[in-house]
Amino acid sequence: MSEAIELDNVTIRRDGRAVVEAVTLAVGAGTIHVLIGPNGAGKSTLLAALLGQIAFTGTIAQHFKRDAVVGYVPQSFVADRTLPITVGEFLALARQKWPVCLGVRPHARARIGELLAKVGLPGFERRRLGELSGGELRRVLIANALDPVPELLLCDEPATGLDPAAVLQLDALLTELRDQHRTTIVMVSHDRQQVRRIANRVTLLDVTVRDTGQTDKVLERAGKAVT
Amino acid sequence: MSWLYDWWIALAKLLGLGDELQYPFVARGVVAVLLLAPLLGGLSHLVVARRLAFFSTTLGQAALTGLVIGVAAGQPLDDTYASILGFCLIVGVVMTYVRRQALLPPDTVIGVFMAFTLGLGICLLVAATRRFNIHQIEAVMFGSVLTLTDHDLVLVLGLGALLGVALALAYNAILADSLSPPIAKARRLPTTAIDYGFVVIVTIAITVSLKVIGALLVEAMVVVPAAAARNVARSTRGYLIWSIAIAVVAGLGGLFASTIWRIPSGGAIVLALSICFFITLIAGRMRSGRPERS
Repeated sequence: MSEAIELDNVTIRRDGRAVVEAVTLAVGAGTIHVLIGPNGAGKSTLLAALLGQIAFTGTIAQHFKRDAVVGYVPQSFVADRTLPITVGEFLALARQKWPVCLGVRPHARARIGELLAKVGLPGFERRRLGELSGGELRRVLIANALDPVPELLLCDEPATGLDPAAVLQLDALLTELRDQHRTTIVMVSHDRQQVRRIANRVTLLDVTVRDTGQTDKVLERAGKAVT
Repeated sequence: MSWLYDWWIALAKLLGLGDELQYPFVARGVVAVLLLAPLLGGLSHLVVARRLAFFSTTLGQAALTGLVIGVAAGQPLDDTYASILGFCLIVGVVMTYVRRQALLPPDTVIGVFMAFTLGLGICLLVAATRRFNIHQIEAVMFGSVLTLTDHDLVLVLGLGALLGVALALAYNAILADSLSPPIAKARRLPTTAIDYGFVVIVTIAITVSLKVIGALLVEAMVVVPAAAARNVARSTRGYLIWSIAIAVVAGLGGLFASTIWRIPSGGAIVLALSICFFITLIAGRMRSGRPERS
């Protein structure tokens, strides 16, 4: 198995304090690699470093082609919920060049319909983004990250707020991406059952790497308290 | 541009408008409002989406200071675009840089810049009033269609078209970055360039609007149309249409009111905008109990 991402001695400091320290880690290409650990362990910060959105020391080597598509499902979406924008318009932002304020183009509308159906939200195009529940909004963010098919998908607690059926649907989407498109997925999760179902490898992070390896073994060693 | 004035007089007579609305300066004002209102109204919904309302207010204050700097430096009072644009660009870019460093909350940073620009403007105003009658400066501070020239209209038309094209080309990227900078960055959008570029667009739009709206009130034109539109719009498309419609209606209404009652055009337009805001607020509340439509 070739490596898609290699982190070597990565350290991230905030206000002089190391929030991620000396992390050395490899993520296999076409695998689902899950980061687990307590709150404040640096999991989301490490995802931000993988996205190139935060300064760090050490090296992060990503073995993707130059303009590889990167999908990202953030932990929180802090946009103004009173902003008048529909789900369809939000998803059209990345799927057409024509200004969204002048209308959603037919080709984008068709693609958006397919994406929403994939995440279990058919017919949600005209709903206002700010009126969605937490789980619905998360599914819209997942739909946004699925297209175009990413080579690297970073998900920060994507199952938060989802009902059990929606979590299983998410699992199916992620495994489909991995198995059919060889997408490399790095995911933060606190859902132990979901991790067991889909993860190829798990890393226990608590500022630094405490454990990494096969899913069952890491979860067993980590104990119930961690995730 | 006599054809324009002839056209306006013919139209005003056809519409039965009073004699006071049939002068060439009213025609210039109408054209300026019809050019500026779609630009500022369209810009306003992005300003509010990017949470730059307070930022734009500070740029308006900086415009006043830029005006006073220009006048104190010897520029003619009716041609201070260079000093206003120059000072506003400096303030806007530096303010954006400091805000992006996230050393302090954004509103605190902007508040500091607002205090600085206003303090500097007030101190320099003393120097400016030694050379000009304060009433001449008032016209620029509060807006006056009487001071509009054909040259101003050409400037508004040229820069307005340029800014409109730039906004249309970058619209989706600007809105995507406004909604979620992390997702925008993951999609490799140039978020830093978007941030600074948008500030430059807002600054130029404010500068070319000064003669009609006035330095102290111009920020209202890039905030209130969107605020009013938000009360009734349910989609981005509706948001844009309502923002522009409200800016045009309030712009023309304020212009006519200022001509009839001989009050500053800027103040009248902003009052008209505020009335639109409260009407849409009530309309939005009344509609909130009904079934939804976009």
